Amino acid sequence: MNLAVMKTKAEQGLLEAFQSVADTLPGGADVQKARREAADRFENLGLPHRRIEEWKYTDLRQVLKEALPPSIGDSTELTIADVIVALGSLASLDAHKIVFVNGAYRPKLSTPMDLEGLEFSPLSSALVNGESKTGLTRTSGPKDDATLALNTAFMSDGAVVRIHDGAELAKPVLIVHVRAGKEAFSATVRHVIDVGAGAKVTIVEAFVSLPGVTDEGQINTASEIVVGDKAYVTHVKCAVDKGAVTHLSNWMVRVGKEAEYRGFQQTQGIALARNQIFATFDGEDAKLNLSGAFLGRGGDHIDTTLVVDHVVPGCESRELFKGILDGHARGIFQGKIVVQQAAQKTDGKQMAQAMMLSPDAEFDSKPELEIFADDVACGHGSTVAEIDEEMLFYCRSRGIPEEKARVLLTESFIAEAIETVEDEPVAEALKMFARGWLQAD
Amino acid sequence: MATVETIEQVKQIDVDQYKYGFETQIESIKAPKGLDENTIRYISEKKNEPQWMLDWRLDAFERWQAMKEPTWARVSYPKIDFQDLYYYSAPKNAEGPRSLEEVDPELLATYEKLGIPLKEQEILAGVQNSRVAVDAVFDSVSVVTTFKEELAKAGVIFCSISEALRNHPDLVKKYLGSVVPKSDNFYAALNSAVFSDGSFVYIPEGVRCPMELSTYFRINEKQTGQFERTLIIAEKGSYVSYLEGCTAPMRDENQLHAAVVELIALDDAEIKYSTVQNWYPGDANGQGGIYNFVTKRGDCRGKNSKISWTQVETGSAITWKYPSCILRGDNSRGEFYSIAISNGHQQIDSGTKMIHLGKNTSSRIISKGIAAGVSQNTYRGLVSAHRKATNSRNYTQCDSLLIGDRCGAHTVPYIEAKNSSAHFEHEATTSKISDDKLFYCMQRGLSEEEAVTLIVNGFVRDVLQQLPMEFMAETQKLIGISLEGSVG
Repeated sequence: MNLAVMKTKAEQGLLEAFQSVADTLPGGADVQKARREAADRFENLGLPHRRIEEWKYTDLRQVLKEALPPSIGDSTELTIADVIVALGSLASLDAHKIVFVNGAYRPKLSTPMDLEGLEFSPLSSALVNGESKTGLTRTSGPKDDATLALNTAFMSDGAVVRIHDGAELAKPVLIVHVRAGKEAFSATVRHVIDVGAGAKVTIVEAFVSLPGVTDEGQINTASEIVVGDKAYVTHVKCAVDKGAVTHLSNWMVRVGKEAEYRGFQQTQGIALARNQIFATFDGEDAKLNLSGAFLGRGGDHIDTTLVVDHVVPGCESRELFKGILDGHARGIFQGKIVVQQAAQKTDGKQMAQAMMLSPDAEFDSKPELEIFADDVACGHGSTVAEIDEEMLFYCRSRGIPEEKARVLLTESFIAEAIETVEDEPVAEALKMFARGWLQAD
Repeated sequence: MATVETIEQVKQIDVDQYKYGFETQIESIKAPKGLDENTIRYISEKKNEPQWMLDWRLDAFERWQAMKEPTWARVSYPKIDFQDLYYYSAPKNAEGPRSLEEVDPELLATYEKLGIPLKEQEILAGVQNSRVAVDAVFDSVSVVTTFKEELAKAGVIFCSISEALRNHPDLVKKYLGSVVPKSDNFYAALNSAVFSDGSFVYIPEGVRCPMELSTYFRINEKQTGQFERTLIIAEKGSYVSYLEGCTAPMRDENQLHAAVVELIALDDAEIKYSTVQNWYPGDANGQGGIYNFVTKRGDCRGKNSKISWTQVETGSAITWKYPSCILRGDNSRGEFYSIAISNGHQQIDSGTKMIHLGKNTSSRIISKGIAAGVSQNTYRGLVSAHRKATNSRNYTQCDSLLIGDRCGAHTVPYIEAKNSSAHFEHEATTSKISDDKLFYCMQRGLSEEEAVTLIVNGFVRDVLQQLPMEFMAETQKLIGISLEGSVG
């Protein structure tokens, strides 16, 4: 009966890969211990499969066929011009850039980080120096999540960013991940972001690739974000790739008292994506806004799974996720709002919508409310439909050709989610990505 | 005024004073305690069943033994010892020919107490339109079915399933288990192995059933499980409305109720199935009560067929129930209207499944959950459209109301669209009774409890309107009683 007994090829590959690289991964004795524990955890758990409720629609055991060799301390030759090409519409964004190539920090491609109010160090050196130990465990994800265990076991680099109390950064911090080279690899990164009380910052994570890169790649990324009291954080992740790329992502967020956290994730051109967000309210009267856009075609499989945990009273959460599905792509949305008994006066709203462009597309949605407090106003909604024929007719009756009308309607559909990003240049760049995807049909 | 009446009733009835909590002293015949092949042979023999039925049961039992109790629902209860139950209990007099005169007068008195008018003449004296044919099931056995002759004139078969097995074996053989297979789930398999009685309804082609059909279930014996099986077949172009009511006396131990209901609607047929479930919910400390683990499923097998479920769930310690519709025929329609009220220590995990298989199928789900006390109330539902189900439509609305800060209301919908022309909308809200509304009512002179009852009745109105007239008034009162003690 126990499915986890038989190890799949990918599971075996991952465990063997860990054995072979464990000694070369950065970190002191305590970090190594944590890695081994995580690897043991993974060995027990195995890859998540559809019998696990949270993974009902994304059977990693089934779809993850093999484990690619981990990339550690990659040294692929890249120029700043290459990074600009890879960044596409985000290249023109005026930002402090922290660049990683195949999962390794590249100071020469990054902006010098001698900024007032911001401290930065690459995780690879922070783990060795022990300076980020406190940062690493300040947030919490689920204890029995295999993707997180793999991240802890394999994390080779990342950005450790600390924003000082009261600091307001004029320009966004852009964390760039470039996939480059002809060799297929897996990269595991972990970011630790600590935003001080009253600080204000925009952080953008971009997962992009160079033209001519190998079609295969596996990314496992995790971000831990602690939002201090009264801080205001905009956090964007934009994963734009092509080929047979697997993208496993975890965000773990804690929001402090009277703070506001605005998260957004855009996923397009990824063959297999699982975006998990775990957000917890730490202090009262805080606000959380999570939204996202997912664009899938061909056999793409894009899964967004989030848990918003209202632990304290008086908080507000909003979610809006929109997706466009073409070909036989599959979109999944699982959103859970938990309101604990102490979290009176909670206001939570959630919406997930998908537009299907092809008869073979599939959308599975599971918006969930778990409420233990009575003085609350919570709601969720979910819709799935084709392009509205009447709207199409309206556009055409105004002289817009059908093809153009379709693009207009799909673009405006997805734009509603993107526009929740308040930073205009960032939102514009995201829209450009979406437009590029829609027109590449 | 209805509300005032309700409030008075509420005052009279404490949680411990469950209205239907009386035991009837009737001699009964029981199968030996426990469950093995012999129990099944015993039941089958008692009912003079044909060999194929016994084989069917034994096969189900074999499958059941290989199955595990489901644990995914948001309910918690001590493990059930399936060997510590009586699987068959029948009032002694029930064996033999059935006419009202031969029914134990004690039993008739019981049904009178319950307010079930069994005596035909009494009903005949009433208004023509409000006539209801009743099949009463006492513990495991169908005791009496009224109005048989009149129904027979219309060609309608309405009898207990054991009688149907004797008189219409071909029909039973053809349809039994065709909607809920033997090994569908743990409790359905158990039911298939040991089901004792239940109702059988067959509406012939083109017939509109001349009256409402109704079944009344009551668990009386201690430590008995009730496993009834209902099978309703609506032939082409027919219509039937079926009501079901349930009660049990107070008991310390938890009693098990695992029923299976199968509905089959052929071309252009319509089945309307209404349930008012008011089993004993346990006392104020969560002791006792009924475990209500029910599998209900309707199959819209024919074109343009329609199945509509309406349920009012106020009783049971634990409810685990998902009346579903398989929308197989093109243009078929499924509906689910539900009021689920939990108070005290009750746990409800209920909802529906709408499985769109045919073209142009549509479904509608309206669920109203009310949680009070320290109860947990979960809506769990699935709406799915398969690849070939073009133009399927669904509208779902799940509203939850919380009364008190120690209860929980949860919504777990699954929406799966495998077809781009599917058009699914889902909406859910959870809130408490708004202070504004409460203030408004109280400012008009209503007490807090009256105001709450009024607001709750308004909250569930969409569903109440779906109930047959006979049940509507009763349900409104039931809501008041169920919410007793939830305010202040």
